[in-house]
Parts: sequence; C-alpha cells; structure tokens
Amino acid sequence: MSVLKTSMRNFFAHKGRMALSAVAVLLSVAFVSGTLVFTDTMNTTFDKLFAVTASDVTVSPTNSDPSDETPDTGRPESLPASLVEKVRKAEGVKDAQGSVASLAVTVVDAQDKNVGPTSGAPTIAVNWSPYELRSVELTAGHEPRGPTDVVVDRDTADKHGLKLGDELRTIAATGDFTTTISGIVDFKVTNPGATVVYFETAAAQRGLLGKEGLFTQVMVDAEPGVTDDALKANVAAALGDGYDLKTAAEAADAGREDVAGFLDVMKYAMLGFAGIAFLVGIFLIVNTFSMLVAQRTREIGLMRAIGSSRKQVNRSVLIEALLLGVVGSVAGVAAGVGLAIGLMELMSSMGMELSTDDLTVKWTTPAVGLALGVLVTVLAAYVPARRAGKVSPMAALRDAGTPADGKAGRVRGAIGLLLTAAGAAALWTATRAAEAGPGSLWLGLGIVLSLLGFVVVGPLLAGGVVRALGVVVLRVFGPVGRMAERNALRNPRRTGATGAALMIGLALVACLSVVGSSMVASATEELDRSVGADFIVQNATGQPVVPQAQAAVEKVPGLDHVTEYKWVDATITDPKGGTFEHGLAATDPTYPQDLRRETVAGRLTDAWGPGAMSVGSDYATEHGVKVGDTLTVAFAHGETVRLKVVAITSDESNVDKGAMYTALSTASEALPADRMPQSALLLASARDGQDAQAYQALKDALAPYPQYKVSNQADYKEDLKDQVGQLLNIVYGLLALAIVVAVLGVVNTLALSVVERTREIGLMRAIGLSRRQLRRMIRLESVVIALFGALLGLGLGMGWGTAAQKLLALEGLGVLEIPWPTILTVFVGSAFVGLFAALVPAFRAGRMNVLNAIASE
Amino acid sequence: MVKAYGSGETRVVALDSVDVDIARGRFTAIMGPSGSGKSTLMHCLAGLDTVTSGQIFLDETEITGLKDKKLTQLRRDRIGFIFQAFNLLPTLSAIENITLPMDIAGRKPDAEWLRRVVDTVGLSERLKHRPNELSGGQQQRVAVARALAARPEIIFGDEPTGNLDSRAGAEVLGFLRTSVDELGQTIVMVTHDPVAASYADRVLYLADGRIVDEMERPTADAVLDRMKDFDARGRTS
Repeated sequence: MSVLKTSMRNFFAHKGRMALSAVAVLLSVAFVSGTLVFTDTMNTTFDKLFAVTASDVTVSPTNSDPSDETPDTGRPESLPASLVEKVRKAEGVKDAQGSVASLAVTVVDAQDKNVGPTSGAPTIAVNWSPYELRSVELTAGHEPRGPTDVVVDRDTADKHGLKLGDELRTIAATGDFTTTISGIVDFKVTNPGATVVYFETAAAQRGLLGKEGLFTQVMVDAEPGVTDDALKANVAAALGDGYDLKTAAEAADAGREDVAGFLDVMKYAMLGFAGIAFLVGIFLIVNTFSMLVAQRTREIGLMRAIGSSRKQVNRSVLIEALLLGVVGSVAGVAAGVGLAIGLMELMSSMGMELSTDDLTVKWTTPAVGLALGVLVTVLAAYVPARRAGKVSPMAALRDAGTPADGKAGRVRGAIGLLLTAAGAAALWTATRAAEAGPGSLWLGLGIVLSLLGFVVVGPLLAGGVVRALGVVVLRVFGPVGRMAERNALRNPRRTGATGAALMIGLALVACLSVVGSSMVASATEELDRSVGADFIVQNATGQPVVPQAQAAVEKVPGLDHVTEYKWVDATITDPKGGTFEHGLAATDPTYPQDLRRETVAGRLTDAWGPGAMSVGSDYATEHGVKVGDTLTVAFAHGETVRLKVVAITSDESNVDKGAMYTALSTASEALPADRMPQSALLLASARDGQDAQAYQALKDALAPYPQYKVSNQADYKEDLKDQVGQLLNIVYGLLALAIVVAVLGVVNTLALSVVERTREIGLMRAIGLSRRQLRRMIRLESVVIALFGALLGLGLGMGWGTAAQKLLALEGLGVLEIPWPTILTVFVGSAFVGLFAALVPAFRAGRMNVLNAIASE
Repeated sequence: MVKAYGSGETRVVALDSVDVDIARGRFTAIMGPSGSGKSTLMHCLAGLDTVTSGQIFLDETEITGLKDKKLTQLRRDRIGFIFQAFNLLPTLSAIENITLPMDIAGRKPDAEWLRRVVDTVGLSERLKHRPNELSGGQQQRVAVARALAARPEIIFGDEPTGNLDSRAGAEVLGFLRTSVDELGQTIVMVTHDPVAASYADRVLYLADGRIVDEMERPTADAVLDRMKDFDARGRTS
C-alpha cells in the first residue's frame, strides 16, 4: 500500500479528531480570507462611487484640504463663479459646472433629531446639478427648484422616516436654514453610508458658503478625444497658478487614500486576530498529531518492522497534515466569504451600507487562505511527524499499555526558564524606559519572549499548578477529584500544550483589560485633578461649535462664564530659526480656571496678556525655548506676529498635552474675521449652587443642535469609561475566537484521553464507579486544565498589562488599575469553559460499555 | 439462564440454560476450554453483562433486570473483582487502589480489617508505590487486597494468575485460599489452569455454554485427567 493510501486511510479513520483540528484551521483561514474579502469589497464600493461621481478634471481652491472634512472656520474654501466661465473657454473643454459641497453641516428633522449617519460617515450638502444624476436617480418628487426645496437620499429618508413635504433644518457655520423635502433620490451605486442633501444652487451658495456667486469646485468634462491629462494641462494653462487640479483618476486615488486609512486599521486589526487564532490553532494541531502518533505507536512500529523507512512514516504523517490543511483551508475560504457577508450586514446595521452586489473575491484571497492554512498545518505537524519517524520497530512488539508518564525534560525546563527570565528582563527594561519608542520595542520583545517561555515551561508548571488547584478546587470532590487531578498530571506535556492554547487568548484579554482600566483610572484621576469647568460642550466626531450654538450656550442663565477654545493653525519660528507647524489654542482668559494646567516655568495666566503666549515643555526642551524668549508666529491666512513666551506648561499630562496658549484677542487681531475658526469646544462653569439648573438649562439650550453633547464632569467620566469599555468589548469579542479554538483543543485532548483510558474506565466502572462519578471525573479534569491555562494566561497578561502601563506612564497613563472583577470573572468563566469542553467526551465515556472497555486490547 | 448474541441464522448461544449455585464461604473454580462461555458466565454472575433470559440472585437480591445505577452500586458494595491484567489504576498508589471502591462509595475503610488484609497479602512495605513500580505478582496481590478490603459478599476472579509465573501465581492463589479459609470469603474464579483450579473447593466444567461436570475437592492431577477426558470426547464426537 502506498504511503498516500495509508495516510488517507488514517485520515478518514480519525475523522472526529481531524474534524476538530480542521475547525481550528477553518476558523483561522476564515478570519484571514473574510478580512480580505471584506476590505476588497469596501474598496470596490468606494472605487465605483468615485468612478461615477468624478468628472474628467476637478478644479478646487489650492488651500482646500479634502481630508479635512470640516474646515475650522466651518466654511469650505471657495472659488468665484467667474472662474467657471474661464474654464469653459479653455481648449478641449466640453462643459464645466460649478459645484457647491460642504461637509461642515448638520441636518436635523422637525423634531431636532440629527438625520446624519451614526457610523462616522459624513453628512454632505451639495447643490443640485446635472452632474449628480451620474450617481443618483430622482425616484420621488422633483428636483430642488427654489430656496425652500431640498432633496434627500433614499437610505436616509428610510432610516429616519422622512417623506416628501417634511421639513429639514440645515445647521451650517453661516446660520440655520429650513427647507422642505421636494424629492428623494436613489443611488445607482452603493452609497456606503453618507447622508446627502441637495439644494438649488443659489440656496446652497447662500446657506453653505454665506453668499451667492461662489463655488467650492469646478467640474470639467473633456471634448471627445481629449485625454484627462491633456484637459488638466489646458485648464491649468487657462487658469494660471493658485488652483488645485485633479484628473478623475487622481481624484479617485485621493478619495481612496482617505478611505484607505480607515480600512487599513480595520484590516490589520482583524488580521492580527486571525494571527492569534492561527497561533492557538497551531497548539491544537501539534497536540492532535502528537496524540495520534502516540496512539498509533504500535501500528507505526509494525510498519517499521515490516520495512517502512523513517522517511516514509514521517511523510505519511505529513501527508495527513496536508490533507487536514487543504480540507480546513478550503472550508475556511468559503466560511470567510460568509464571514465577510456577515460583517457587511453588521456594518449595515451600524449605518454603513454595503451591498453584496459589490462582493469582491480576488483570486489572491483563496490563494492566500489556502497557502497559509496548509503551510501552518504542515509546519505544526512537523514535530509530531518527526517523532513518529523515530518510533523503533521494537515498539510493535512491546506491550503499549498506557503511555508512560511523560516526564518533561530538564533541558526543556532550562530553556523555558531562560526565555521567561529574558522576557521578564525585557519587560522590566520597558518599564524603566525613558522614551516610549525604544520602550515599546522592549515591551514587544518581553511579551514574545515571556509567552514563548511560558509555552515551553508550561508542562513543568502543570505539575505544581494542577496540584495547587487540586487542593483548592478538587479535594472537595473526594476520590473522583483526586483521580481527575492525577489524570491531568499524567501527561504534563499534553496538559501544558492544551492549557497553553487557552493561555494565549486569556493573556491578551488580561493585558488589555489592565491597560483599559488603567486608561480609565488615569484619565479620571487626571480629570479630577485638572478639570475645573463644570460643563463641556463638544461634538463626538470633533466638529467645531457653530456660532449660533455658541450663542445659545452663552445665553444660558446661571452660568458664571463660558470659555471658547479655538484652534488656530500657525507656523512658529523660534529665536534660533527652527520652525514648527502647529496650532495655537486661542481661548478666553477664564481658561486656566476651567482647566488647571501645571507649569514648569512662568505663570500661565500671563499668557492671556497682550503679545504673550505659552508653550509646552516638550517643545521648549526640543527647541531650547525659555520663558522671556520671543517667537515668530505666522497665522495661516493671517498676519505674522511676535509673541513672548511667558509660561511653559508641563507635558506630563493627557489633557491638552503640548498646547500653546494665547488670548483670543491676540489671535483675532492677527486674523481677518472670516478666517477666525469656530470654537473646537466650549467649557462652562455654573454660578455657585446652580449646577443642576445650569446643566438642565444647557441641555435645553442645545436641544436644537443635537450634534453637540453637553456633559458635566460625572457624565463625562462615565462616557469615557463607556467608550473604553466598548472598545474593549470589541477586542474581547474578537479574542473569543482564539478561545473557541482553545476550547476545541481541550475537547480534543479529553476525547483522546477517554479513548486512551478505555480499559481504565472499564475497570473503574467494574469496581463500582457510577456513570455520574465517571462523567464528573472527566469534567473535573477538563476544568483543571482550563483553570491551569487561565491561571497562567491571566498571570502573564497582568504582567504584560502592568509593564505596558508603566511604559505608557510616559504618555500620561499614570495610574495602574488591575480590574480584579474582570480577572476573577474570566478565571471563573474559564472553569465553565472547561465544563463545556468536557460535555461530549464525558458523555461518551459514560456511554462506554463496561465489558467492551475491559476487553479492549 | 441463557445468554445469546444475535438472532435468527446468526444467533450464537454463549450460555445454554446454565443453572448454577455458588456456595457461600467457598472457593469455586469455573473451568473449560476457550470459547466454552466461562468468562461470559462470570460476567453475567457479576452483573457486568446481561442475560437473555433467566434470573441471577446474589443472596436475596435479583440482579437480572437491575438498572445500571443499581448494578453499579451492587458491584461497588457487594462484589469484588480480580482481572487477569490491568487491575490497577496507574495514577494511584497501591493503598489508594486498595481503598478505591470504598472511596468511590464514600465509605471509610475499616482500619483494623485493612491492616489485616494488607498483612495477609504481604504488601505493608509497598503501599506507597505506584503500580508500575511493582512486579506482576505484587500487582495481582494488590488487586486481591482491593477485592478483599471492601468485604464484598463475593469475589470474582477472571484468570487472576494467567499473566504470572508459577511461583507468583501460587502465591496469589495461596492468598485466595487463605481468605476463604480464614476470612470466610466467597470466591468464584475462572481459569483454564488445572493447578489453579486445584486450589478451589469445587470445580465446574463448562463446554459449549453448558455445565457438563463438576468435581469436589479437586487435585491438579484429577482436574487434568478430567480435562483430557473432555478433550478426547470432544475429538471423537
């Protein structure tokens, strides 16, 4: 019989065990290919969108930054209408249209509810022009004809129950204006989630830009036969300098780049989790093959005795692994497509519309999935395969009996301890690092080394830890508990490897929860220390506060003061000539009361004096700036002034780190009125004893502006905690995948243990162990393995988390908080994971026929 | 009782209307050639296997028809076992193996009795050892001690000396004999070794699922002769 045939037979003879390993491969591959399909699909969606919306050439003002969705002034940069005529006269131009578009708007319905997307996608207000008909189709009502008409996209209308004739109020920096829905459009391509409103051109100009006769872009189309590049050159020649020209392809590239940042973060995060799943899967595969080889020792011995070479035995195991890898990966790629669709559904429910019509499966996706799955499986099976090759022909003749107590070697212990010690040393170095950069390298190194160390030394620790757990957990269960403990200890290498799979996932959970809760604790502590303001008004996505909302806040009775905080772009030149592109925080003089910043030199309140400013300590050190020095500040779109440094604030802070303060009046003197940015946020304090009334009054005053949230200190902290909590929950959700794979590993180990101990189980049943006791024994063994993994993982993770916090203390994460409730919950939860994993193996052991068990050879 | 496997054409009768009484406080051996049904008989008597028809009583308790839970309890509390091999749990020490049935039942072993049993089988020095640190004879002695320690009403041995050399086998059989004589234990042993059978008070001969003969106060030679006799008859028939 050929090697291949033997492998095939063995593979199918161990379907059950292979199935569990295949699931591990499947899950890992599914995550990888799902991520690829999902991001490719998103790219397709955006590409299609950009392709239909872009004109051959687009002319924009030079200083408009497309990635800056909301200009600080709240008004997009504009072009005069006369420019459109100029463009039309250029050679090769078939047509040119001015367009008005603004992302600095919020649209609310009659009940003051924001109809904008909640997914982070923008609300886009544009003028109605023939260009729009390339991407949309008017399916109800009529186009906007007058100043009170508005057309809205179908998704938004459906989501918010808007109909023709409903009122929509648009909040822009230039003021609010109310319109009535005259029509609804459907997108011809997938609109990934933006809310789009269309106004008649003059209305859009007045409402979004402040006056008629202005456009934000000119869309140019070429005569037939004129390439985009040629058209671009012609238009550029006609217009001269001072404009930003993009061909359709360039515009699509720019748009894609915008989206790519967001997509990449998602892609790498998900691939990271796929990597963890793979790592855990490797343990499962190594374990499965080790057990299969151990179980087949006699069989392999026989094959060797009748003349199979080492290589052949070795190869036969690897071929089994290859089969497993192929089966798991193929199923994984298919599952990945399903996962991508599921992810798209999930995104849709969160407001990001993605259509399965755009589902993109590139040939690289199955290729990468298969290659990865097969490679990892075969590599993981390599060690057990080699061990199989080493089985001597004598093994066939020896009574296999039960496998001998696997004594983990001394060399292994030494290597493991060495790795762990090196890891600990690296972590220690990380906590001592003076700079975050090298520190994080040490941290990464420490994490990898200590993880490897724990994996290697795990089987040795299994003895001590399981015994300790036995005293605490198992002794209660009498002889059944004792047997469970002994069984868990019988093959420490197997227990170690099974526990290690669980350890990895839980270590990450513990580490992240330590960092997360330290983040909350540090921020809360800092807020308590530094924030003096009673209230803060801001937009969740960083949109500035429109003047009309600010006016509403300022009118609230019971407020002692309202502090404006504006961010003014500027280039700062120090006395030695070094320049620094940064912004100045221009605020009211009440700012130091609302936010107590510590200074390392000078008095901060002086920064609000005429011609004065403060700088952060990092900047001061880097540029050699001292109190009393004069800096040259060139305001963007404004004058260049010389300001004297009167104070240096400490940068050992999370709040407003590195900000350079100056008075509002200083900035307004240097800037034309229409260049003065809107407030990034507002701080306010109530008069003594009027906190509660003022808070309510503030909320009422901001009701017409739902895009802003007002919080008092307590709510603000609560929000912060929720945000971190939500983030952690997503991460935990993804880590659950690793834990699922680890659970499969526990199931696998137990299932095999049951088979291996058939005779023992028969003996115990014969001398009077009841089914229930037998099942309990297996469950306890499982629990003890799970708790072993949890203990190691949580311990390791808390070590990592603590080291990370010490390192991040440099970035203001000053307070270490170990989230004991979470840690304990996870620990106890892992006991349940163990119980769950033992369900099937225990049931099968209980069902074993006593006589067959005794008779089995 | 009758024990049959399969039905119709493929029906195989392992025990064909066997009717047997096992006397209390005596040492009974069941002999017979391979495939005669002697192991099946023992498994049925011990509540490890079920019969197709008929009844089995242990003392006043009918074990035929008991549910698994009751049967398990019965085996745990009233029956002792000695198997040919693989009698001990490798993870437990000798003493832990000996007290295992009582531990499982949650009973406290009678310390006095336990010491006497351990002394009788001569294991007091090796109680802390794991099975793999004991010789084959020692392992079987631990198994005998386990069977005796719980003071079961009856002990079943399935070729208890089958894997031992003659010296170690004689030792174990000696202990079984002693426990009947001195401790009043009831023992049923399945064997095909005439020497082993000669330790018993009574030998039952089984062939083709039937009891074909029995012998009181056997000697090894007498048993051997009788066996030869059966073999000869088997060949001629």
